[in-house]
Amino acid sequence: MRPLTPRKIVAVCGALLGVLFVESVISLRLGAYAMDARDILETLYRGATQRWDEIPPEYRQIIFGLRLPRIELGILVGAALSTAGAGFQALLRNPLADPYVLGVSSGAALGAILSLIATPHTVGAIQLAAFTGAALTVAVVYFLGRRGGQLDSATLLLAGIVAASFLSAVIMFLMTTISGRDLRGMAFWLMGDLQSSPAVGLSWLYIVLLIAIGCIFTTSSDLNLILTGEQEARHLGVNVNRVKLVVYIAASVLTGVAVSVSGTIGYVGLLVPHVMRLLFGTDYRLLIPTSAIGGAIAIVLADTLARTVVSPAELPVGAMTALAGAPVFIYLMRRRIR
Amino acid sequence: MEMILERRTAWTKLAQVASGLLVCATIALGHPIRAQGSELTPAARAQEAAKTDSSPATKIVTDEAGRRVTVPVNVRRVVSLAPNLTETVYALGLADKLAGDTSYCDTPEAAKEKPHVGAPVNPNLEAIVALHPDLVLATAINRQETVDALARLGIPAYYTDPRTVSGMLETTTLLGDLLGAREQAATLVRELQDTLDALQPQLRERPPAHVFFVVWEDPPISIGQNTFIADALRWAGAESVIIAKQDWPQVSMEEIVRLRPEYIVLISNHSADGGDAAKQIDDLRVRAAWNALEAVKLGRVVVADEEIMRPSPGLVGAIVTLAHDLHPEVFGSAAAKSAALARVAGCGELALELKVETGAAVACAR
Repeated sequence: MRPLTPRKIVAVCGALLGVLFVESVISLRLGAYAMDARDILETLYRGATQRWDEIPPEYRQIIFGLRLPRIELGILVGAALSTAGAGFQALLRNPLADPYVLGVSSGAALGAILSLIATPHTVGAIQLAAFTGAALTVAVVYFLGRRGGQLDSATLLLAGIVAASFLSAVIMFLMTTISGRDLRGMAFWLMGDLQSSPAVGLSWLYIVLLIAIGCIFTTSSDLNLILTGEQEARHLGVNVNRVKLVVYIAASVLTGVAVSVSGTIGYVGLLVPHVMRLLFGTDYRLLIPTSAIGGAIAIVLADTLARTVVSPAELPVGAMTALAGAPVFIYLMRRRIR
Repeated sequence: MEMILERRTAWTKLAQVASGLLVCATIALGHPIRAQGSELTPAARAQEAAKTDSSPATKIVTDEAGRRVTVPVNVRRVVSLAPNLTETVYALGLADKLAGDTSYCDTPEAAKEKPHVGAPVNPNLEAIVALHPDLVLATAINRQETVDALARLGIPAYYTDPRTVSGMLETTTLLGDLLGAREQAATLVRELQDTLDALQPQLRERPPAHVFFVVWEDPPISIGQNTFIADALRWAGAESVIIAKQDWPQVSMEEIVRLRPEYIVLISNHSADGGDAAKQIDDLRVRAAWNALEAVKLGRVVVADEEIMRPSPGLVGAIVTLAHDLHPEVFGSAAAKSAALARVAGCGELALELKVETGAAVACAR
């Protein structure tokens, strides 16, 4: 295997960022409100040069009020979920791990809903509660998934499914008993929705995102070793427990951030890391950054489709990712069995 | 070993990638966020001010959610986000001001021809912006998120929340005020109130009919006490057997059997059955579990007009029909019902078509 150079990481990430940029411009162009590419670029340029008064008010509403915030949110959520997926896959040594499949997203969603009921107006409480829900769910699923002191792949997935359905039932119960306008929008949010913008500033969430991705990235060489075998990694001087703790917390934070702003969008964390493995190999030093950017590309694409294919109506973005992700999940599962 | 040595370089790589991502995020987030008035640059604010000068003044009103909304004194283009609001706008004779509505808005017929902005629960915000509204009307079937998003875009959204029949009349008055149709609203509301009051002396002689109101058949979903439908039933001399705090409680078949409703009230389904009430009743008679109910066996099934689900002026017509269907002893024959409905249809500028069971359509063109 050719050694992985920093230059290669930067080159691959740069190329992916280029794809993301082009995709974002195309996405900015699409929507119920017709604008041609020149108007878009002109509006963006005037916005970037702070000449707001030269932009027609409606263009400003469409581009800076509607389409750009959605793309920004999509990038955040996609990067968070994919990196979390890649992290969980290493942590649990299971290629089918994904925040949604493991029930971690449902745990985060339950946390978010509880915080909306208990402290509806505290800024940041949703994120904290979603993180707590995610972290607790991972812990429970992890311990349920062990058999004879060993993590068992099938048992782990079953534990995830059980956790997800149990948590969904609790969410259902809360939503039925607490009737009210504010909780009704949650049906949409639960399916995964990028339309509502978060109460917390997006910049703060981006900072948390980058720190968490950075944390997982610093452990990526160790993750490579751990994936070849924990004992071997220990012999080579890797502090396995510390690495696992870092990945566990960071992946839970990422899931919490994503779920708190967009609900449960499934399968991105499964789909994207696998595509990246096929494209760029299994080295975690490359897999983590490419998964982050690839996840952003995937969600921006899914959301663009979700808001254009049935226009003027809209599909929840979670439905789009499930349409693409569920078949891939089945494919991966069958390939492993063979 | 090679891998461990490479761990050193991982840190420098991290720094590079992180700074790259950070630059992207900064560029993306660098724009003054959203088109909110307070966040506009001074130049843009001046332009906003100039724009407001050219158009007539605005006023600040408090909507039914307690939100303070700045609306133009002369509203020119309205987008309605719910069927009942669309109907109210038409009933006030303001069809010209309605710039767009939802794909659910089917009454009156002309509402179907207006540009649609999607379904009430998830309208397309871009489609709303594209219609250049100076006011958007929202209500309880819309999501809070939609109303918030409109506020962020600087499009005034007025939220209505009628929870009773009187509340519907108040909302009609408020909307008349808001849209510059105070006179029409006053006349309309007075006539609707008179129609409702006219029913009451006869109904007072009778105990209320205990009904099971069917919002959905399978699984059975009914109405809670705090819905305007429960109130509409009271005006029609009926009482829902379901006591629930939720607005749309799901009920078990067993519970319905236990509560022994005198009547089952279905909602007319124009889209699926073409409003064929007889077919709906026949369907229920052969439906498992439902056919065991005493009310169904005795043929005490009434099909209410779809308008019963919409807190709009058309609700009053639905109440009149329902009262006649549930209390034929006091109101007499179908002819009496047609006459009563014709009176409702004559209200104000109502251009609603009220379909009577006999098949005769009473159109109003006063």
